[in-house]
Amino acid sequence: MSQRHPRLRELKFTLYRIIRNPSAVIGFTLLLFFAGVALFAPQIAPPKYTYNPYMMPHKGFSPTPKPPSDTNIFGTTSGQYDIFYGAVWGTRTAFKIGLFVVGIAVLVGVTLGAVSGYFGGIIDEIIMRITDIMWAIPTLVLAMAIVVAFGRGLDKIMIALAMVQWRWYVRVLRSEILTLRDQDFVQAAKTMGVSDLKIILRHILPNAIYPILILASMDMGSMVITASFMSFVGLGAPKGYSDWGQMVALARNYIVGPPDDPLKFWYTIVIPGACIVLFVLAWNLIGDALRDAFDPKLRRR
Amino acid sequence: MLAYVIRRFFLLFFVLFGVSVLLFGILMTFSPERRAATYVSSPQQAKDIPRIIKKFGLDDPFYVQYVRWIKELSKGNMGWSLVASRPVGEAFWRYLPVTLEMNLFAAPIVILFGIWLGTLAGIHRDTWIDHITRILAIVGWSLPTFLFALVLLMIFYGHFQLFSPGVLSDHLSIFIIDNPDKFTPFTGMYTIDGILNGRFDITLDSLAHLILPVMTYVIVVVALNMRVMRSGIIEELSKEYVTTARAKGADKKTVHIKHARRNALLPVVTVAGQLMAMSMEGSIAVEVVFNRHGIGWWLAESATQLDMPVLMCICLFMGVVFVITNLTLDILYGYIDPRIRLT
Amino acid sequence: MAKLLETVDLVTNFYTYEGVVKALNKVSLVMDHGVTFGLVGESGCGKSVTARSIMRIVQEPGRIEGGKVIVFLDEKDKQAGIDLLDQSETYMEGLRGDRISMIFQEPNAALNPTMSIGDQVSESFLFHQKKEMCAKILEDLCAPECHAFYPFKKFQQALYRIAARNPGSLALRILNRIPIVKRWQKRLKKEAKTRAIEILKKLSIPHSEQVVEQYPHNLSGGMKQRIVIAIALACSPMLLIADEATSNLDVTIQAQILELLHRLKEEVISSILLITHDLGVVAETCDRVGVMYAGNLCEVADVKDLFDSPLHPYTRALLDAVPRFSMEGKLKSIEGDVPNLVTPPPGCRFHPRCPHAMDICRMELPELTDMGNNHLMACHLIDC
Repeated sequence: MSQRHPRLRELKFTLYRIIRNPSAVIGFTLLLFFAGVALFAPQIAPPKYTYNPYMMPHKGFSPTPKPPSDTNIFGTTSGQYDIFYGAVWGTRTAFKIGLFVVGIAVLVGVTLGAVSGYFGGIIDEIIMRITDIMWAIPTLVLAMAIVVAFGRGLDKIMIALAMVQWRWYVRVLRSEILTLRDQDFVQAAKTMGVSDLKIILRHILPNAIYPILILASMDMGSMVITASFMSFVGLGAPKGYSDWGQMVALARNYIVGPPDDPLKFWYTIVIPGACIVLFVLAWNLIGDALRDAFDPKLRRR
Repeated sequence: MLAYVIRRFFLLFFVLFGVSVLLFGILMTFSPERRAATYVSSPQQAKDIPRIIKKFGLDDPFYVQYVRWIKELSKGNMGWSLVASRPVGEAFWRYLPVTLEMNLFAAPIVILFGIWLGTLAGIHRDTWIDHITRILAIVGWSLPTFLFALVLLMIFYGHFQLFSPGVLSDHLSIFIIDNPDKFTPFTGMYTIDGILNGRFDITLDSLAHLILPVMTYVIVVVALNMRVMRSGIIEELSKEYVTTARAKGADKKTVHIKHARRNALLPVVTVAGQLMAMSMEGSIAVEVVFNRHGIGWWLAESATQLDMPVLMCICLFMGVVFVITNLTLDILYGYIDPRIRLT
Repeated sequence: MAKLLETVDLVTNFYTYEGVVKALNKVSLVMDHGVTFGLVGESGCGKSVTARSIMRIVQEPGRIEGGKVIVFLDEKDKQAGIDLLDQSETYMEGLRGDRISMIFQEPNAALNPTMSIGDQVSESFLFHQKKEMCAKILEDLCAPECHAFYPFKKFQQALYRIAARNPGSLALRILNRIPIVKRWQKRLKKEAKTRAIEILKKLSIPHSEQVVEQYPHNLSGGMKQRIVIAIALACSPMLLIADEATSNLDVTIQAQILELLHRLKEEVISSILLITHDLGVVAETCDRVGVMYAGNLCEVADVKDLFDSPLHPYTRALLDAVPRFSMEGKLKSIEGDVPNLVTPPPGCRFHPRCPHAMDICRMELPELTDMGNNHLMACHLIDC
């Protein structure tokens, strides 16, 4: 009986499960779309201010938003900022936020979690106590406290979120490592004299990485949501910056239009909002598909 | 069992202490000058800053200031809230009932819907019920609460003229302010106070104002609750004791509810702390959008004005809530799962 | 002896990612009343699947796709056979645990960790013996010695009267949902618990009154398996199916459990279908044996006949492979591997490994034929 290499077979099976999953396909398509928009932003929406392409162009300062027209495809928001431009360049901002926060959170969280879980003892106790303290306050509240301490700005939001979010990864990785550490294959490697670092990198991490991947892809979405709320409240990017949350903030006074046409300014909210929702949805679908593909109990039906 | 509870209690006191240190550390990232600036209210007084620093000891070592801060806290003095124009402590008690009310109505919805839908999805796995609930869960999870609130406000308030923002309709608010003798705020929550004062119109009005906010932020929490319940049920249904129950002659309903669901509730209880945190975050967004003056609204407004003492107070409050919630959950867990009781 | 159970050409398939696993390939098993029938075979040959197909609790993604499972539950009336595959799920639920019971391999996992032992054993009584229990309670309530508070007594008498006639009546179901009213069931639950303690005593479980209040994690593996047996035997079933019930226990406990089953066979149950891969257990405890290979029944015989004169090549190879003290030299094993049941070999599934394989073996599945003395064999080597 021919046996293909087991790892290849498992990989093929995982890919099969992902591709067969319609939500995964939708998620990937959406993500590719956004990635494309982000990559080709200068071509799709040529920047007006080359020194800072993230500032949305505006013709004039009138507070009343204008509906979609030939010059402004998605219309303008309060202060005459072009919504289309903001939506396009906002994609770049969203990716920036997500990748920065998740990247740092994963790095710090995985390192601390690995050290804590693998070595145990007093190091584990210290790290876990510190993490426990951090858990006492919800993400948003703690991030807001940090931003208030450090000052306004998109970069401060990203730093604050990164400082708060790593606690998830420490927990997840530590629990995975605790399960794996006592398994026979790790014990075998130890008796053969493999160094601790090598054991962690070559044996434990490849097995523990799955829940981290799932969490990371969900977080790409969550962090964008939290960051956009903080921008909405006014803690983030300055007025006119291409950030979806900031754009919704500009629309705050125009939720309800004049009595005869209350939905008049729908585009000021719906368009940036749809961008946020679709972006987060893409990541969540991918994360969900990954979760289904990796779960050993849901496999093999 | 009692020893278990006492031990969890002590552990959590430690957490509270740690939280206070953390928060104080954040506060201390301000330079002494900046912190002194919170005591002045006009540019002319800027030259007083060095004197203020000396007076309040703002450049003393960390632990000295920390002890002083704790002493102030225990006296109830937490600073001044710019937003509320009153001491932080007073403002806190003023804003708390609004948030509490919302959470009071939201909690049963989250619990009932989450468990019910999650059980359905788990039992009828991979059928249309499962797929629909899963889609709803993912979409719910992807919606930023504040955005959803804005859209709902746009549609229901703007277009259909229902459900205005705020806590109470204008004419009733004015009535309450003008006639303090006719309406005593026993709890600060209008739904309950309305009944206690015999004014059912106030109760109904405030319920009407609760519908949209609660509906909005409950969705995210229900989505998570549902997913955890679903995976719990799937996990339990694949266990041996379920086969034994079937071999006993149990009908499907008994198997699902009496056996599987009871055991599947355990992971839900584990995650309940997270659910509470998410509930808090959602209520902040909803209070801001619907202009309900509760803790969340206060937090957002104070953050915008970079009002640090308020942030500190709220973070401490969150810490206390976390401690109490965890203790309750641990007790609940010990009650449901007999295996835990011995440890 | 009267027939108890007869499966006719039973086919069960599993629909998996790798393909359709043809687990049972026309299995025709006949079992009599009062017999301990041992079903032996290697891992994966389909013994458990057969048992589960009889009880109709095959796991997803398995499906019973053909054949009949006929049970003769009325020992006196031999003609009253019922095809279980035609019955409704409700009927099966009434049957399981009451007339046919099953116990499983892993006692540690077989019990619900968050329910007390008493609750789990009582459940069997509550499922199947409600009517009898209610009738008994009604008698007690109406007896002159009953000193209960008069209105409650009348109320309970009325309810139990309804329950004794029809436990699932609508009125009772509604009343059961009302918080305080549903306490009328207290007597019923108490009666069920009494019966539970009784059955535990019967199984020689010490301190049954205390055990009934404990939880599974308080007990040892051997004790748990006894509880599982107690649950299975609670309603005195006609047939007990034991699916590898002793495989996960150490040898001394195994001996105890087998002895227990033997004793109970005299007192409580009449017939046992014992599934195992251990030929030693079969030799010790069974009256009749069936050998399975890759989803087929190869040989069925009385236990002495099988061990004295095995006919089927597989059985012969199996018995040859058992090491004996008197042997010298290499251990004998059967050439080749167990077939992949997604693409099983055509005809007789043993033919690739059979030293006597003929052309016909590759093409036609052999039928079970009586070779005399009720010794059945499925092989084309009939004339040898």
